[in-house]
Amino acid sequence: MNKILAIAGVVIKELYRRKDFYVLFVLTALITLVMGSATFFNDPKIVRYLVEVCLLLIWVSAIAIAIGTAARQIPAECESRTIFPLLAKPVTRAHVILGKFLGCWFACGIALVAFYAFAAIVRGSREAYWPMLHYFQASWLHWMGLAVMIAMVILGSLIFSAPSANATICEIIIVGILLLGGHLDTVALRQPPPLDLITYTIYFFIPHLEWFDVRDILVHDQPLIKWWAVLGATAYAAAYTATFLFLAWLIFRRKPLNA
Amino acid sequence: MEPILKLEDLRVEFRSGALRHNPKVALRGLNLEVYRGEIFGFIGPNGAGKTTTINVLLGFVAPTAGNAYLFGVNVREPIARQRIGYLPELTYYYKFLTVEELLRFYARIFGIPRRETDRRIDQLLRLVELEQVRNRPIKTYSKGMQQRVGLAQALINDPELLILDEPTSGLDPIGRMKVREIIQRLKNEGKTVFFSSHELGEVETVCDRVGILHEGELRTVGRVSDLKAQFQTDLERIFLKIIGYQLNT
Amino acid sequence: MRSPRVHYLILLLLVVINFTLATVLDIAAQAWTRRGGTDLLAILLGDARRIFSAHFFIKADVYFHAGYYPSIFDLTARPKDSSHMAGDNHAHDEEKCGKAMQFLGRPTDWIERFGRNFAVTEHKHLNSGKEREILPWLRISASLDPHRIETYTVAAFWLRRTLGKPEQAEAFLREGLRANPDSYELLHELGCVYYENYKDAARARNIWRLALEKLELQRGKKDEDELAKYYHDILLRLARLEEDQGNYALAADYLEEIIERNAAPNPDLLRTQITELREKASTRH
Ligand SMILES: Nc1ncnc2c1ncn2[C@@H]1O[C@H](COP(=O)(O)OP(=O)(O)OP(=O)(O)O)[C@@H](O)[C@H]1O
Ligand SMILES: [Mg+2]
Repeated sequence: MNKILAIAGVVIKELYRRKDFYVLFVLTALITLVMGSATFFNDPKIVRYLVEVCLLLIWVSAIAIAIGTAARQIPAECESRTIFPLLAKPVTRAHVILGKFLGCWFACGIALVAFYAFAAIVRGSREAYWPMLHYFQASWLHWMGLAVMIAMVILGSLIFSAPSANATICEIIIVGILLLGGHLDTVALRQPPPLDLITYTIYFFIPHLEWFDVRDILVHDQPLIKWWAVLGATAYAAAYTATFLFLAWLIFRRKPLNA
Repeated sequence: MEPILKLEDLRVEFRSGALRHNPKVALRGLNLEVYRGEIFGFIGPNGAGKTTTINVLLGFVAPTAGNAYLFGVNVREPIARQRIGYLPELTYYYKFLTVEELLRFYARIFGIPRRETDRRIDQLLRLVELEQVRNRPIKTYSKGMQQRVGLAQALINDPELLILDEPTSGLDPIGRMKVREIIQRLKNEGKTVFFSSHELGEVETVCDRVGILHEGELRTVGRVSDLKAQFQTDLERIFLKIIGYQLNT
Repeated sequence: MRSPRVHYLILLLLVVINFTLATVLDIAAQAWTRRGGTDLLAILLGDARRIFSAHFFIKADVYFHAGYYPSIFDLTARPKDSSHMAGDNHAHDEEKCGKAMQFLGRPTDWIERFGRNFAVTEHKHLNSGKEREILPWLRISASLDPHRIETYTVAAFWLRRTLGKPEQAEAFLREGLRANPDSYELLHELGCVYYENYKDAARARNIWRLALEKLELQRGKKDEDELAKYYHDILLRLARLEEDQGNYALAADYLEEIIERNAAPNPDLLRTQITELREKASTRH
């Protein structure tokens, strides 16, 4: 475990020494604040549109950070040959995968805390309303969703040779799932015979990332999600993450390292 | 005496291309034993298979046939690498870290306690003379400084066996001399060093035994003094002779 | 990965700054140009802005339903018009709208069933001042497509009704009238502002009369039922106004006109009211 955490630590250090995160955060904050200074019909109490814009930017930024970091990790290790002194230590390839995953995931978690704190402050300053449990549920589920995405991207980085190709493909898949994942069953009903079965199979096998996107609950001030459902979604995310990481390990284990 | 490093009929083939025929044979049945306290020089022309041998020892490349052991443990087990230090042929380290952070990271992987880590880092940075720059990111270092970072990271776990792939490449004469001194000092501490090199003069001065590799085959193994006595000439000429290079004198 | 995405975000930031400046400077801008700060968006988006405008109008409806809204895969369950968003008989509309929007059938599999936990699954309308949350989207929608009449009427309805901002409602309606000078719907709503909020019967009467004239212009051009509905609404408003002012005979005339135009859903009710009004008128003389 110590080895995994050590590897994760390097990933986190890398992330906060690069400028990406700060740039995304500052841009998100600026866009939100500028948007917040817009006046609509001279009514300063209007706030939901602002929460929505802010959360949308948070989602976009978090996905960009997660995919960007995860897609780079292992290819960069091989490219700069840092993987060799690392694997020459008593470290297995499983340690490397887990370390890289945890590093990306923790780093994203830190970023999420900053992002959601910002969103909460923006909203609180407007209407003195602090639904802390809502923020917790939303950011927790968001984080769990990111775990699945990161594991998926790490798996992709071992399948596709170019990190940029992998990032693009993963981005399309993730955004596709977020937008359509929950409706594939409806789509399946409208397809002709062979296609409907295929669509339905896809529907059952893809990770349903759209569950982890509960921005609507936050924006529209809906009641809290049932805690058992949050727990269930967490377990679901853990299962998919484990599956992707296991597949990644199977591939990585046999991958020759071109010395 | 139990050998620290042992190769048994080691064979490595690289299959490239989709059809997988016509594999490139990098090593053809290598047998070698290296004992505790020895400095072993592994020499051979470019493409002889030195780096490939070292890659097998570190588990980067799986042997096509045969076995390799470190401390009697098959190299497939990660635990075999607990007591070794390795300096790769060409490497860049995590550029965004400082040398101190890099060493701390590797120390953590070995599970070295914190206080011991601090002590070793101070000692190693003094040894490789990187104390002045310990808080600067590695990307600001020169090539020679990076090579010394490599040496420091290879020593962080106080290894019993050091595997060095061309440790002096890219260093200036003073740097080379320093590396030779370090190797000598390690020998005095009772460590074992296995290193590949093209610098025959250097091999001649520091090594107890040498192995000459050519086209994936180990042509000669022996003490430097024995070889010299046998061939009645210096190591450079022995080397050229063994690899079949005709001197036109 | 850094550069392209960051560039998009910077572009977005610039657009947002422009847009915000436009909203902030809106009042000043109206003095300079007739269309205010919307030109920039119009130029940037070209004709696509009409599509975006429709999107933002729907967004307002989504907000009005606090996120409970059918996706593009349940188009049939979408509300057909915006009347539920701004209607006088509120409670009734909510019930009707809720019936129409039953797009969440029984879940067919566990994924759907479990997924419902993370979505909004209850039909409700915003109330007690929360309606203000739909306004930004209507404002944006109007900036993108100034010819969408409902945008103005829905926004004005809430501004004057629950949010206590009749001046804002009036300003927005007037903005709509500048782009759509012949709109009887906007005049109808504007008359309400004058009558109900400003208690200015004289001007309300003029505006509603003007609305009737504009309505007359549309005869034969628009759907009869649609026109009949507005004839009914505007005439009824005028009738009530005259009744309140004590002009019972005039009020009765307006009611009769509703019947003449076949615009009354329940003419018998109107007839009894007409006789009552006629009686009151005769007793006063
Ligand atoms: N990944 C690989 N795929 C195919 N062939 C390889 C691969 N790695 C090494 N080889 C081949 O194996 C042979 C041995 O290479 P190796 O790198 O071990 O040589 P070397 O002795 O270290 O040479 P140098 O002194 O140049 O470092 C070479 O002919 C090389 O072309
Ligand atoms: Mg080599």
